[in-house]
Amino acid sequence: MESFDVLGSGVIIMGLPFFLSGTVGLLRFPDIYTRLHALTKADNVGLGMIILGLILQAGSWAVVAKLFFIWILVLIASSASCHLVARRALQKRIQPWSRK
Amino acid sequence: MVAEMTYIMAGFDMLLVATLLWLAWRLLSTPDIFKAVVLFICFGLVMALAWVRLRAPDVALAEAAIGAGITGPLFLAALRRMERLSKEERRLDFEEDRDADHSPGKV
Amino acid sequence: MVFALVLLFAVVAGLVRILKGPTAADRMLAAQLFGTCGVAIILLLAKGLDAVVLLDVALVFALLTALATTTFVRRTWYAGPEEEGSDGEF
Repeated sequence: MESFDVLGSGVIIMGLPFFLSGTVGLLRFPDIYTRLHALTKADNVGLGMIILGLILQAGSWAVVAKLFFIWILVLIASSASCHLVARRALQKRIQPWSRK
Repeated sequence: MVAEMTYIMAGFDMLLVATLLWLAWRLLSTPDIFKAVVLFICFGLVMALAWVRLRAPDVALAEAAIGAGITGPLFLAALRRMERLSKEERRLDFEEDRDADHSPGKV
Repeated sequence: MVFALVLLFAVVAGLVRILKGPTAADRMLAAQLFGTCGVAIILLLAKGLDAVVLLDVALVFALLTALATTTFVRRTWYAGPEEEGSDGEF
């Protein structure tokens, strides 16, 4: 059990840079498409790693199942809404940024 | 170890309260209505986090569902209706203005 | 314990990101990132405070930020010059 705790903490710490880089990317990237790219990394991988770490530390199977459902829900919801935003941006004829 | 935990939680609480006050101030003082709506959604999320920190999960659930989840999209929908309405009103105003006589006594 | 520190970092990240919102869609993306950060913070708090009930709050967060973004795309940020007629009515 102790080793699982340490392993879970390690996975959570590995998930943190994804959140931070998602935030930095949202602040620093030039246009909407690249910002979407940064955002989805934080959503999927960062939260996935945090949830994986918490699953490794969880006490009961009910908690594990609930965490897993949260992860699946966030995965579906964030990818669907990011897809909607990107499609509408293309419909609005927003040109993707390119290095001149 | 326990003292460190207490300091960390105190820092978390102070950061939460500062964010809450800052968000409320910006939300009330911003001239852009859409920005205010987005700030309102974020305010609801931070408020729910504060309720979670106060160990009141039921209130946090209600705040997240009603405050941020339902009112935010309702505001967004209302914003669109408002824009359309104000556009029509502007057109009506323009037509009335064209038809009306421009006497100086009219306000 | 590492959790409280972790969520402190996430909150700071969310704060910095809210501080500047470039355009309309970027603000909405920022709100969505904030929702995801909120889910992560609540999960870590649920571990730190030993309250399993908080997982339900995280579920509601995950559901409702997606709802907000979808409403934004459907209702507020309509397709610009060609003015498509299909997404108008309630």
